[in-house]
Amino acid sequence: MSELKKIYPFAALVGQEEMKKGLLLNAVNPKLSGILIRGEKGTAKSTAVRALAALLPEIEVVADCLYGCNPDDITTMCMNCRERQANGETLPRERRKMRVVDLPVSATEDRVVGTLDIEQAIKRGEKRFEPGVLAQANRGILYVDEVNLLDDHIVDVLLDSAAMGVNTVEREGVSFSHPANFILVGTMNPEEGELRPQLLDRFGFCVNITGIIDPALRVEVVKRRAAFEEDPESFADRWEAEQDKLRRQIIEAKALLPKVQISDEMLFLIAGIAIEMGVDGHRADLIMMKAAKTMAAFNGREEVSEEDVRQSVDLALLHRMRRKPFQELAVDRQKLQGVMAGFKHSHAHNHAHSHAHTNTVK
Amino acid sequence: MNKFQRLVYPFPAIAGQERMKKGLILNAINPRLGGILIRGEKGTAKSTAVRALAALLPETEVVAGCLFNCDPNDISRLCEQCRTLLAAGEKLERTSRQVQVIDLPVSATEDRVVGSLDFEHAIKHGVRRFEPGLLAQANRGIIYVDEVNLLDDHIVDVLLDAAAMGINVVERESVSYVHPAEFILVGTMNPEEGDLRPQLIDRFGLCIEVEGVRDPGERVEIAKRREAFDADPMGFIARWAVEEQAVKDRITVARQLLPKVTISLGLLELITQLCLEGFVAGHRADIIMEAAARTIAAWHGREEVTEQDVYEVADMVMFHRIRQAPPPPPEQPKPPEPSEPAGEQQEEPESLEEPEPEQAPPAEQADSEPEKQEDEWNEQEQNEQEQSNSPPAVPQEIVFAVGQPFQVKRITHDRDRILRKGSGRRSHTKTASKAGRYVRSTMQRKNDDLAFDATLRAAAPYQVYRRREQIAIAIETADIREKVREKRIGNFLLFVVDASGSMGARQRMVETKGAILSLLLDAYQKRDRIGMIAFKGNTAEVLLPPTNSVEMAHKLLEELPTGGKTPLSAGLTKAYGVAKTQLLKDPNISPLLIIISDGKGNVSIGSDKPLKEALRAAEIIQEEERIKSLVIDVENKGFLTFGLARELAHSLGAEYHKIDELKADTLVQAVGRAVSRE
Repeated sequence: MSELKKIYPFAALVGQEEMKKGLLLNAVNPKLSGILIRGEKGTAKSTAVRALAALLPEIEVVADCLYGCNPDDITTMCMNCRERQANGETLPRERRKMRVVDLPVSATEDRVVGTLDIEQAIKRGEKRFEPGVLAQANRGILYVDEVNLLDDHIVDVLLDSAAMGVNTVEREGVSFSHPANFILVGTMNPEEGELRPQLLDRFGFCVNITGIIDPALRVEVVKRRAAFEEDPESFADRWEAEQDKLRRQIIEAKALLPKVQISDEMLFLIAGIAIEMGVDGHRADLIMMKAAKTMAAFNGREEVSEEDVRQSVDLALLHRMRRKPFQELAVDRQKLQGVMAGFKHSHAHNHAHSHAHTNTVK
Repeated sequence: MNKFQRLVYPFPAIAGQERMKKGLILNAINPRLGGILIRGEKGTAKSTAVRALAALLPETEVVAGCLFNCDPNDISRLCEQCRTLLAAGEKLERTSRQVQVIDLPVSATEDRVVGSLDFEHAIKHGVRRFEPGLLAQANRGIIYVDEVNLLDDHIVDVLLDAAAMGINVVERESVSYVHPAEFILVGTMNPEEGDLRPQLIDRFGLCIEVEGVRDPGERVEIAKRREAFDADPMGFIARWAVEEQAVKDRITVARQLLPKVTISLGLLELITQLCLEGFVAGHRADIIMEAAARTIAAWHGREEVTEQDVYEVADMVMFHRIRQAPPPPPEQPKPPEPSEPAGEQQEEPESLEEPEPEQAPPAEQADSEPEKQEDEWNEQEQNEQEQSNSPPAVPQEIVFAVGQPFQVKRITHDRDRILRKGSGRRSHTKTASKAGRYVRSTMQRKNDDLAFDATLRAAAPYQVYRRREQIAIAIETADIREKVREKRIGNFLLFVVDASGSMGARQRMVETKGAILSLLLDAYQKRDRIGMIAFKGNTAEVLLPPTNSVEMAHKLLEELPTGGKTPLSAGLTKAYGVAKTQLLKDPNISPLLIIISDGKGNVSIGSDKPLKEALRAAEIIQEEERIKSLVIDVENKGFLTFGLARELAHSLGAEYHKIDELKADTLVQAVGRAVSRE
């Protein structure tokens, strides 16, 4: 627990609402498949991701499974757990926090995908698979700081497994595959070069963040940071109530999510936005829909409103706009407004919702 | 069984993308179509469809227990083991199983693809036994490569080799083995990440391009179905089970019908006609189109191929094989008479193969309008004079738009092992560092980068004779193998751009910017480091210090103004300085200067004449062997050319290209040539 205290509390982060929203939504719904945070240096990108770890809900796992399988869902279980269950064994259960697994930029491929277990080979002359980072990250968050600096061949591997949620290993004498369903969270500084489009698309959300301009808020940032550094523990204590509120909100939203309904009208709005804004493929639609539902759940509603859709558009669209080569990432705001305006009729609700919103995501 | 499989989205539940689905189904019916390549933007259900296909594949008869899924009905293609059994007078036991889809991940190493020594067996029994790899499992099945364009060159070579011969010959790590490896290649790719090697592209029988659905209703349906699947995969699959079975049954029926399907002579002629018109390379297209047409007829339950069938499959077959038609030269032989006897059908394409697009003479085109050219040139000269006569104090600066990008042709440099070799990303270096992708092992000891698996395999067979204490395997120095890693490092490309007034004439800068953009796109796909220097007026300026951000370069390129004199020597000197600094930082890189100019330097730094000074600067650059250069001449083609850029290239020892020669042959032309060489 003392280790956790050293992490800056999420609730104490100043500003950067889009980023916080994106991270929280991912904590509620892992199917949103992650977020890419683009921004200049010193904008609390990494701090926010690490802080999120403290808010993540607990999950039910098979206690002695390397991949943290879900004991209640045979469809996502690794082969070992499946076999054990088929043999009539009761799988030992355990509750633990969702993990945040770091993928360092210097990681080698064998450590990422897993490799031959050397110890087993020498001691027993047996071939066994030694799981890598992707195995640890199953059902958790895979966090890559400076994701744009990741070696090309590591990116290829990530793409491969992120796409299907399976890590297939055919290397160094071992042939193995296991579930690798992770939320991909990355941070990057665009000055160092862009991400490859295919990898970009794997992130459910993308936000651009810049330094805060409001002087008062800037002062607040410095103040809080100084207070934290001076005495992290009492700082964390002071924020514990807020943190707890967020934690509960996440858990409640998670429970509510399966009940959230989305009307055809909203689905057509989403499809309309995707078509008009000229995005590649269909992933944008899916992510917008999931994001809107999660947003509704986060705000305690069972029906997706237009405002929910509006709130999810930027997150899902920014990195999926069809661009000319090397054009910068941006959403054509005017055009978007035009598309949204076509759905004026439910405007009356908007105000209430956006209010509810500013109160909750803080 | 240690293969984890996720629940697969049912094939019939994929909304839209009818052509992709049809292409896949055709392959499920008729394996002789040779697979399919699906190209398309991200998020268009490419991978989903291929994985869903696995559930639809028919059952085939195999020899029970055979590692290579041998066909008991085809004695000519049996593996060694089955043959031995048969020779010993034993009966091959039969069993029926579904055709397999074998995943080839991009991270695969060679030993797992081709197969290698089974070290576990060797240690325990002291016997060398071949452990089959993916190629063995895929015999009579399908190999699926997601993101096939990211596959390592080395692995691609192995695949091509096996695909061409239908057998896999293993001669490595003290095992020697041959087994049948006939497989269908199915690949998906996003062209944004770079294209495939021509030989590999041609291996795919069909090729489909997919894009997102534009219809809102359909889009909503797609999203709804996916959400339903995510919420309750089992229930969703159960709901679609009936439809899935229906497709499966229809495939089985079509498979049985296929041998009975006939095609009329007229339609065969139509096929050859289509192939001729598309200037496809070789005969593969004709053969596959015929097979595909028959397959689709079978799918529709007919025993006779219709014209409609042919048209339905034509572009799937031709898409990746079509070469750009040359402007019809008058001496072009007439298309074949429809009344020709069928026997000649096979030969026709060959005899017509001769008038290749290469014959289309670019020189002629230029000659055809010399007068116009001359006029233009005069005009241009006037422009230039006006430009250079204008007082330098008020340099006219104009920002030109960026021209249309195109695919850049391969920049080759024969005395340079750093530049793109074969068709990988630009550079394949076998680095001393332990970074990079492990592709295979070697006995050479260089850097203590132990290839453990290979070392084990080397040591394993001798374990019976070695003394082992407490451990299962004793390793001796002679066993040690090291990893050969391949790292696709990019180069450092330094663009040295002439932004002087003379470049403004006749929109030359537009074209130049287009060329630079094309090179930048190429640089992105090869992950090069780039820098940019522009020279105009009296000085050269480093616009973009070395960076990985191609986007920055593009932005700067857009904003780059043109105007003033041409300080060529200043540009070269600056470039030399930047390249030298980079070399100090990282001695392993090989900087490539890309000098884009007409070579008409007219300002000097010192007291020498501008041109003389530029050539001297060029010679200094040439003396530094690690710096390579490339001159792109932007001087307009005309009656009177100065050829100064060529002279500059000579002094630099650089490769020389005219700007309009930079355009790559289209991909398909490259395929054609590669095939005709085979």
